[in-house]
Amino acid sequence: MTQPLQKVDHSALKTNQIIIISLNVLAFILNLPGLAAFVALVMGIGSLLKIPGFGFVYKNILKPRGWMKPDVLDDNPEPHRFAQFLGFLFMTAGSLSLFLGAPILGWSLVWLVVALAALNAFGGFCVGCAVYYWLSRFNLPGFSKQPPAGTFPGMKPKLGAS
Amino acid sequence: MNAETMSTTYLVLRFGLAIVIIGLGAFAYWLINQRLLVRARNNVSTLFNTLPNKPVLIYFTTPDCAPCKTIQRPAINRVSSLLGEDLEVVEIDATERPDLAKVWGVMSVPTTFVLDARGEARYVNNGVARAEKLLEQIQTL
Repeated sequence: MTQPLQKVDHSALKTNQIIIISLNVLAFILNLPGLAAFVALVMGIGSLLKIPGFGFVYKNILKPRGWMKPDVLDDNPEPHRFAQFLGFLFMTAGSLSLFLGAPILGWSLVWLVVALAALNAFGGFCVGCAVYYWLSRFNLPGFSKQPPAGTFPGMKPKLGAS
Repeated sequence: MNAETMSTTYLVLRFGLAIVIIGLGAFAYWLINQRLLVRARNNVSTLFNTLPNKPVLIYFTTPDCAPCKTIQRPAINRVSSLLGEDLEVVEIDATERPDLAKVWGVMSVPTTFVLDARGEARYVNNGVARAEKLLEQIQTL
Protein backbone atom coordinates (compact mmCIF):
# COMPACT_ATOMS: atom_id res chain seq x y z
CA MET A 1 0.00 0.00 0.00
CA THR A 2 1.46 3.36 -0.98
CA GLN A 3 1.30 6.23 1.48
CA PRO A 4 2.41 9.83 1.40
CA LEU A 5 5.80 10.39 2.99
CA GLN A 6 6.92 13.66 4.49
CA LYS A 7 10.19 15.53 4.51
CA VAL A 8 12.07 14.63 7.69
CA ASP A 9 15.33 16.38 8.52
CA HIS A 10 17.50 13.62 9.99
CA SER A 11 20.11 16.17 11.08
CA ALA A 12 17.61 17.52 13.64
CA LEU A 13 17.02 13.98 14.89
CA LYS A 14 20.75 13.28 15.06
CA THR A 15 21.41 16.48 17.01
CA ASN A 16 18.68 15.50 19.46
CA GLN A 17 20.22 12.04 19.92
CA ILE A 18 23.77 13.32 20.39
CA ILE A 19 22.66 15.85 23.02
CA ILE A 20 20.66 13.15 24.84
CA ILE A 21 23.74 10.89 24.83
CA SER A 22 26.08 13.67 26.03
CA LEU A 23 23.85 14.91 28.83
CA ASN A 24 23.07 11.42 30.07
CA VAL A 25 26.74 10.40 30.17
CA LEU A 26 27.53 13.65 31.98
CA ALA A 27 24.68 12.99 34.43
CA PHE A 28 26.12 9.54 35.15
CA ILE A 29 29.71 10.73 35.61
CA LEU A 30 28.73 13.63 37.88
CA ASN A 31 25.99 11.55 39.54
CA LEU A 32 23.32 14.14 38.75
CA PRO A 33 19.86 12.52 38.67
CA GLY A 34 18.47 16.05 38.17
CA LEU A 35 20.22 16.28 34.80
CA ALA A 36 18.75 12.92 33.75
CA ALA A 37 15.32 14.23 34.84
CA PHE A 38 15.93 17.38 32.76
CA VAL A 39 16.63 15.21 29.69
CA ALA A 40 13.42 13.29 30.40
CA LEU A 41 11.50 16.57 30.69
CA VAL A 42 12.83 17.93 27.39
CA MET A 43 12.05 14.64 25.63
CA GLY A 44 8.54 14.76 27.13
CA ILE A 45 8.00 18.33 25.91
CA GLY A 46 9.35 17.31 22.47
CA SER A 47 6.87 14.42 22.38
CA LEU A 48 3.99 16.76 23.26
CA LEU A 49 4.99 19.33 20.63
CA LYS A 50 5.79 16.59 18.07
CA ILE A 51 9.34 17.84 17.55
CA PRO A 52 12.78 16.49 18.56
CA GLY A 53 13.22 17.69 22.16
CA PHE A 54 16.67 19.22 21.65
CA GLY A 55 15.93 20.03 18.01
CA PHE A 56 15.95 23.73 18.93
CA VAL A 57 19.75 23.54 19.24
CA TYR A 58 19.96 22.40 15.62
CA LYS A 59 17.29 24.84 14.42
CA ASN A 60 18.60 27.93 16.21
CA ILE A 61 22.36 27.33 16.44
CA LEU A 62 23.83 24.55 14.32
CA LYS A 63 21.84 24.96 11.10
CA PRO A 64 21.90 28.80 10.80
CA ARG A 65 25.68 28.83 11.37
CA GLY A 66 26.22 26.05 8.84
CA TRP A 67 27.83 23.80 11.47
CA MET A 68 25.44 21.02 10.51
CA LYS A 69 23.90 20.56 7.11
CA PRO A 70 20.27 19.47 6.62
CA ASP A 71 19.76 15.82 5.75
CA VAL A 72 16.17 15.88 4.51
CA LEU A 73 14.75 12.50 3.56
CA ASP A 74 11.32 11.21 2.55
CA ASP A 75 10.25 9.45 5.71
CA ASN A 76 7.45 9.08 8.26
CA PRO A 77 7.83 11.45 11.23
CA GLU A 78 5.43 9.43 13.42
CA PRO A 79 7.81 6.53 14.21
CA HIS A 80 10.52 9.02 15.27
CA ARG A 81 8.04 10.76 17.58
CA PHE A 82 7.07 7.39 19.01
CA ALA A 83 10.75 6.53 19.51
CA GLN A 84 11.28 9.78 21.42
CA PHE A 85 8.20 9.06 23.52
CA LEU A 86 9.58 5.61 24.37
CA GLY A 87 12.87 7.27 25.32
CA PHE A 88 10.93 9.72 27.49
CA LEU A 89 9.23 6.81 29.30
CA PHE A 90 12.57 5.06 29.93
CA MET A 91 14.18 8.32 31.07
CA THR A 92 11.27 9.10 33.38
CA ALA A 93 11.41 5.61 34.89
CA GLY A 94 15.18 5.93 35.22
CA SER A 95 14.99 9.36 36.87
CA LEU A 96 12.27 8.22 39.28
CA SER A 97 14.34 5.16 40.20
CA LEU A 98 17.33 7.42 40.90
CA PHE A 99 15.30 9.76 43.08
CA LEU A 100 13.69 6.83 44.88
CA GLY A 101 17.07 5.31 45.77
CA ALA A 102 17.47 2.58 43.15
CA PRO A 103 20.66 3.76 41.37
CA ILE A 104 21.46 0.49 39.58
CA LEU A 105 18.03 0.31 37.96
CA GLY A 106 17.99 4.06 37.35
CA TRP A 107 21.39 4.32 35.67
CA SER A 108 20.75 1.09 33.72
CA LEU A 109 17.66 2.69 32.19
CA VAL A 110 19.61 5.87 31.45
CA TRP A 111 22.38 3.84 29.75
CA LEU A 112 19.76 1.93 27.79
CA VAL A 113 18.54 5.24 26.36
CA VAL A 114 22.17 6.21 25.63
CA ALA A 115 22.75 2.91 23.79
CA LEU A 116 19.56 3.21 21.72
CA ALA A 117 20.26 6.87 20.88
CA ALA A 118 23.83 5.96 19.86
CA LEU A 119 22.58 3.12 17.67
CA ASN A 120 20.29 5.60 15.95
CA ALA A 121 22.80 8.46 15.68
CA PHE A 122 25.83 6.43 14.57
CA GLY A 123 24.33 3.22 13.17
CA GLY A 124 21.25 4.65 11.46
CA PHE A 125 18.91 2.18 13.18
CA CYS A 126 15.98 3.51 15.20
CA VAL A 127 14.76 0.80 17.57
CA GLY A 128 11.69 2.83 18.61
CA CYS A 129 10.75 3.21 14.93
CA ALA A 130 11.16 -0.55 14.43
CA VAL A 131 8.80 -1.13 17.39
CA TYR A 132 6.32 1.35 15.83
CA TYR A 133 6.38 -0.50 12.48
CA TRP A 134 6.09 -3.82 14.29
CA LEU A 135 2.99 -2.56 16.15
CA SER A 136 1.52 -1.23 12.87
CA ARG A 137 1.54 -4.79 11.54
CA PHE A 138 -1.06 -5.59 14.21
CA ASN A 139 -3.22 -2.68 13.00
CA LEU A 140 -3.08 -1.00 16.38
CA PRO A 141 -4.93 2.35 16.38
CA GLY A 142 -2.46 5.20 15.87
CA PHE A 143 0.16 2.96 14.25
CA SER A 144 -0.85 3.25 10.62
CA LYS A 145 2.41 4.05 8.80
CA GLN A 146 4.51 1.59 6.85
CA PRO A 147 8.27 1.88 6.33
CA PRO A 148 9.33 3.81 3.18
CA ALA A 149 9.58 1.49 0.17
CA GLY A 150 12.77 -0.55 0.16
CA THR A 151 13.71 0.41 3.72
CA PHE A 152 14.12 -2.12 6.50
CA PRO A 153 11.77 -1.12 9.37
CA GLY A 154 13.69 1.20 11.67
CA MET A 155 16.61 1.85 9.31
CA LYS A 156 17.32 5.31 7.99
CA PRO A 157 15.71 5.53 4.52
CA LYS A 158 18.24 5.19 1.75
CA LEU A 159 15.94 4.93 -1.24
CA GLY A 160 14.22 7.67 -3.18
CA ALA A 161 10.65 8.73 -2.52
CA SER A 162 8.04 6.24 -3.60
CA MET B 1 40.77 9.58 53.44
CA ASN B 2 39.03 12.94 53.63
CA ALA B 3 35.69 13.79 52.01
CA GLU B 4 37.26 15.70 49.12
CA THR B 5 39.58 12.82 48.17
CA MET B 6 36.68 10.37 48.40
CA SER B 7 34.57 12.60 46.20
CA THR B 8 37.34 12.84 43.58
CA THR B 9 37.95 9.07 43.69
CA TYR B 10 34.21 8.49 43.27
CA LEU B 11 34.11 10.85 40.29
CA VAL B 12 37.11 9.16 38.68
CA LEU B 13 35.52 5.74 39.23
CA ARG B 14 32.28 6.84 37.62
CA PHE B 15 34.23 8.37 34.72
CA GLY B 16 36.14 5.09 34.33
CA LEU B 17 32.93 3.11 34.38
CA ALA B 18 31.43 5.40 31.72
CA ILE B 19 34.54 4.87 29.57
CA VAL B 20 34.24 1.07 29.99
CA ILE B 21 30.56 1.10 28.99
CA ILE B 22 31.25 3.32 25.96
CA GLY B 23 34.24 1.09 25.11
CA LEU B 24 32.02 -1.98 25.13
CA GLY B 25 29.61 -0.21 22.79
CA ALA B 26 32.47 0.76 20.49
CA PHE B 27 33.71 -2.85 20.55
CA ALA B 28 30.26 -4.08 19.53
CA TYR B 29 30.29 -1.54 16.67
CA TRP B 30 33.77 -2.75 15.63
CA LEU B 31 32.50 -6.34 15.59
CA ILE B 32 29.62 -5.35 13.32
CA ASN B 33 32.08 -3.60 10.97
CA GLN B 34 34.29 -6.70 10.91
CA ARG B 35 31.26 -8.73 9.90
CA LEU B 36 30.59 -6.24 7.08
CA LEU B 37 34.20 -6.55 5.90
CA VAL B 38 33.99 -10.36 5.83
CA ARG B 39 30.77 -10.03 3.86
CA ALA B 40 32.44 -7.60 1.46
CA ARG B 41 35.42 -9.94 0.98
CA ASN B 42 33.04 -12.71 -0.01
CA ASN B 43 31.25 -10.50 -2.52
CA VAL B 44 34.04 -8.78 -4.45
CA SER B 45 33.17 -11.00 -7.42
CA THR B 46 29.76 -9.28 -7.65
CA LEU B 47 31.59 -6.11 -8.78
CA PHE B 48 34.67 -7.28 -10.68
CA ASN B 49 35.36 -10.06 -13.12
CA THR B 50 39.04 -9.14 -13.03
CA LEU B 51 40.55 -7.09 -10.24
CA PRO B 52 42.04 -3.71 -11.24
CA ASN B 53 45.28 -4.48 -9.29
CA LYS B 54 45.16 -1.21 -7.41
CA PRO B 55 43.26 0.08 -4.37
CA VAL B 56 39.53 0.44 -4.92
CA LEU B 57 37.09 2.76 -3.22
CA ILE B 58 33.53 1.49 -3.38
CA TYR B 59 31.02 4.20 -2.70
CA PHE B 60 27.35 3.42 -2.05
CA THR B 61 25.04 6.41 -2.50
CA THR B 62 21.52 7.40 -3.58
CA PRO B 63 20.24 10.42 -5.55
CA ASP B 64 18.41 11.88 -2.54
CA CYS B 65 21.27 11.52 -0.05
CA ALA B 66 22.15 15.09 0.97
CA PRO B 67 25.45 14.41 2.85
CA CYS B 68 26.57 12.32 -0.15
CA LYS B 69 26.31 15.38 -2.38
CA THR B 70 27.58 18.00 0.03
CA ILE B 71 30.38 16.12 1.83
CA GLN B 72 31.08 12.60 0.59
CA ARG B 73 31.21 13.29 -3.15
CA PRO B 74 33.61 16.28 -2.80
CA ALA B 75 35.78 14.21 -0.42
CA ILE B 76 35.98 11.36 -2.93
CA ASN B 77 36.72 13.80 -5.76
CA ARG B 78 39.59 15.21 -3.71
CA VAL B 79 41.03 11.78 -2.94
CA SER B 80 40.60 10.74 -6.55
CA SER B 81 42.38 13.83 -7.88
CA LEU B 82 45.24 13.37 -5.39
CA LEU B 83 45.79 9.69 -6.20
CA GLY B 84 44.88 9.81 -9.89
CA GLU B 85 45.41 6.48 -11.65
CA ASP B 86 46.51 4.83 -8.42
CA LEU B 87 42.93 4.53 -7.21
CA GLU B 88 39.81 3.06 -8.76
CA VAL B 89 36.53 4.55 -7.58
CA VAL B 90 33.36 2.54 -8.04
CA GLU B 91 30.15 4.42 -7.34
CA ILE B 92 27.00 2.41 -6.78
CA ASP B 93 23.54 3.94 -6.68
CA ALA B 94 21.67 1.80 -4.16
CA THR B 95 18.33 2.73 -5.75
CA GLU B 96 19.48 1.24 -9.05
CA ARG B 97 21.37 -1.69 -7.53
CA PRO B 98 19.51 -2.70 -4.35
CA ASP B 99 20.84 -6.23 -4.95
CA LEU B 100 24.43 -5.03 -4.47
CA ALA B 101 23.52 -2.95 -1.41
CA LYS B 102 21.93 -6.07 0.06
CA VAL B 103 24.78 -8.50 -0.57
CA TRP B 104 27.35 -5.97 0.68
CA GLY B 105 25.28 -5.41 3.82
CA VAL B 106 24.83 -1.67 3.19
CA MET B 107 22.05 -0.34 5.40
CA SER B 108 22.60 3.41 5.10
CA VAL B 109 24.27 5.87 2.75
CA PRO B 110 26.89 7.05 2.29
CA THR B 111 28.85 3.86 2.94
CA THR B 112 32.36 3.45 1.58
CA PHE B 113 34.55 0.36 1.39
CA VAL B 114 38.30 0.51 0.85
CA LEU B 115 39.73 -2.53 -0.93
CA ASP B 116 43.44 -3.25 -1.33
CA ALA B 117 45.08 -4.19 -4.65
CA ARG B 118 44.29 -7.87 -4.03
CA GLY B 119 40.60 -7.02 -3.80
CA GLU B 120 40.43 -7.58 -0.07
CA ALA B 121 38.04 -5.27 1.82
CA ARG B 122 40.14 -3.56 4.50
CA TYR B 123 37.99 -0.69 5.73
CA VAL B 124 34.32 0.17 5.85
CA ASN B 125 32.96 3.62 6.70
CA ASN B 126 29.31 3.79 7.70
CA GLY B 127 28.29 7.38 7.15
CA VAL B 128 30.37 10.25 5.87
CA ALA B 129 34.14 9.64 5.62
CA ARG B 130 36.27 12.75 5.20
CA ALA B 131 38.99 12.93 2.53
CA GLU B 132 41.73 12.80 5.20
CA LYS B 133 40.30 9.62 6.66
CA LEU B 134 39.98 7.95 3.25
CA LEU B 135 43.54 8.96 2.32
CA GLU B 136 44.86 7.61 5.61
CA GLN B 137 43.05 4.31 5.04
CA ILE B 138 44.32 4.00 1.48
CA GLN B 139 47.89 4.84 2.50
CA THR B 140 47.94 2.03 5.09
CA LEU B 141 47.09 -0.63 2.47
